[in-house]
Amino acid sequence: MAALAGPRGERLLAWGLLLPCLAVVCAFAFWPIVYSVVLSLHRIVLSLPGLGAPFVGLENYARLLSEPGARHSAGITLAFVGASTLLEVSLGTLMALALDKSFRGRGLVRAAVLVPWAIPTVVASQMWRFILNDRYGLMNWLVFGGDVGSYQAWLASPGWALGAVILADVWKTSAFAALIVLAGLQTIPRDLYEAAALDGAGPWQRFRHLTLPLVLPALAVALVFRTMDAFRVFDLVYVMTQGGPANATNVLQFYGYKKMFAEGFMGYGSAVSVLVFVMVLAVSLIYLKLVGRRLLRGETA
Amino acid sequence: MALVLPGCGGEAQDPNTIRLVAWKFNNPGLWRRLADQFEQLHPPLKVALEIAPHSSTAYHDLLTQKLKNRSSEVDVFLMDVVWPPEFASAGWALPLDQMLPPGEKERFLPAAVEASSWHGRLYGAPLYVSAGALYYRQDLLEHLRLKPPKTWPQLVSQVKMTLAHQGNQDLAGYVGQFKQYEGLVCNMMEFVWSAGGRALLPGDAGGALSKPRDLKAVRFVRDSLIDNAAPRGVLSYQEPESLEVFAQGGALFMRNWFYAWPILNDPARSKVAGKVGLAPLPRFSGGESASCLGGWLVGLSAFSTKPEKAFKLIKFLASEQVQRRLVLEEGLAPARRALYDDPWVLKAHPHFKKLPPLLATARSRPRTPLYPAVSQGLQVYFHRAISDEDSDLPILADTADIEINRLLGLIKEE
Repeated sequence: MAALAGPRGERLLAWGLLLPCLAVVCAFAFWPIVYSVVLSLHRIVLSLPGLGAPFVGLENYARLLSEPGARHSAGITLAFVGASTLLEVSLGTLMALALDKSFRGRGLVRAAVLVPWAIPTVVASQMWRFILNDRYGLMNWLVFGGDVGSYQAWLASPGWALGAVILADVWKTSAFAALIVLAGLQTIPRDLYEAAALDGAGPWQRFRHLTLPLVLPALAVALVFRTMDAFRVFDLVYVMTQGGPANATNVLQFYGYKKMFAEGFMGYGSAVSVLVFVMVLAVSLIYLKLVGRRLLRGETA
Repeated sequence: MALVLPGCGGEAQDPNTIRLVAWKFNNPGLWRRLADQFEQLHPPLKVALEIAPHSSTAYHDLLTQKLKNRSSEVDVFLMDVVWPPEFASAGWALPLDQMLPPGEKERFLPAAVEASSWHGRLYGAPLYVSAGALYYRQDLLEHLRLKPPKTWPQLVSQVKMTLAHQGNQDLAGYVGQFKQYEGLVCNMMEFVWSAGGRALLPGDAGGALSKPRDLKAVRFVRDSLIDNAAPRGVLSYQEPESLEVFAQGGALFMRNWFYAWPILNDPARSKVAGKVGLAPLPRFSGGESASCLGGWLVGLSAFSTKPEKAFKLIKFLASEQVQRRLVLEEGLAPARRALYDDPWVLKAHPHFKKLPPLLATARSRPRTPLYPAVSQGLQVYFHRAISDEDSDLPILADTADIEINRLLGLIKEE
């Protein structure tokens, strides 16, 4: 170790310690992204090897932008991300506020709230398929009771299907948002509330001027996580609708998956994944800019 | 015999282990028992099994993933009847013609041989087949002195008569598979064919969905079937959902594959056992009854390091004795013609004597190396067209034709 003494040695040691981690990140995170970008610039059709793999520049991206199916999928994805993220973070916040109060059996309720999140998505999706079945599903029984004639085929109707997938996602992951917000709530010192109460602040004022600003960092984290996850929604669609009915739930990830794995268009499918990647990256950067900076300023001010 | 687990390192190099990737039978032990029998007949060869999911699409993803990585861990694989053009063109499957004794091809059903061939060469040994058929409630039809319908409009009017007579809200008219997935293509192609249409012109000449006969069939499904003779829910049904409805006595007619017959006549699983009839699918006036060919073939991987040993397994699986076992133990319809007159088979499954006329109407779905992509295009088109009663059919069909022509253009470019 003596040889490593001094600032230079220290720097070397730091790099040495970082290197394994960097190598893993490069191999498993960075390289696939680069490789996807490279693939997306070529035309590769698996079942037509005679075409070779010519470099086509941005042709795949040009087609992606002009193809009605891809645009439709992009629209569906944005609708899914907007609706599910908004609902999950608001519902999660409400749940967190309730769970933050002390009441008898709180531990049990907290555990129960987490159950949907703990169920594997594939199992949950299958369960929702049963619930939404047009003949023996629970949903029809809840909404229409014994009136069999008006039973709806929820997953068969282009108008309802996306809503059904959003509902399943909200049911499943609101608890995750709740967990993060709850963690944020727990860090707020209790004496602040006592002081505010002594100063005559009502419950709404305490929430508006105390809880909300202090829980904002946690809220932002929940928002970023949920948005990124929502962009990558796949398993719910895979199990519940396979992108149907009439492509009404054909989110970008599923569209790209079908292009790449079922149809063998490796180049075009890669362009779709790169697009999703860029969208997620853009959204994360916007969040960081909007929420992150204000937070930093708020904290240092 | 040693149970060889898939994924264990080293065995791929074992020159006597043949790796078989197959999809699941309903009877999970059957593959292992077949493999055991093969190992007894051909020592020292061993069979390592990899059993894939019970969905053709998921299985396609898994298998092509291995083949595109040129994996030597697959020697023999099961192929859906729609895959040979793709597998042949991609160079994943080897032609088997040279390994077959002369005259062997003719022993299989012609439709199955046609499905296994691409550009004049055979890429798979047919294992078992299936086809779409019309199941009907014999008791309900006989009650009204009706015979199974010959045409689709007849079917619709029989549904109306029966439902009016029964006055039972829980009874639906027609159920089939109209979810947006591969089964939708089969169901819709049967309507299109029986109207004299064909979706794709032969020889990659282009899409034909906007031709009048094709449009007529799709319009009929949208206007006269969905939400009329068939409940709207069929738009989300695959085979199990439609079978369940019919087996519970919830429908007058069902389109399904051959596998439904034994289930429907098993009192433990069906409320309509003994009350079910089986008929060829109806047609449109001026058209012919047509059913979609389904089934599985056995193919040889181009990346196998031991093709000759692997072919022994293929020959075994395609043999008459194995196909007889598949009938007796699994109820699957054999690809070998002789078995439809086999006394053992007919004793165990008397309904098999009804199958040859149904199989004679069986046709292959559009045959092209880009079938998965063409199928996606067809699925989107058909589902859009039939799930919205105000859909602008000619425009949707034109759009789908353009997309299909663009895909077929890639093949010409190759």
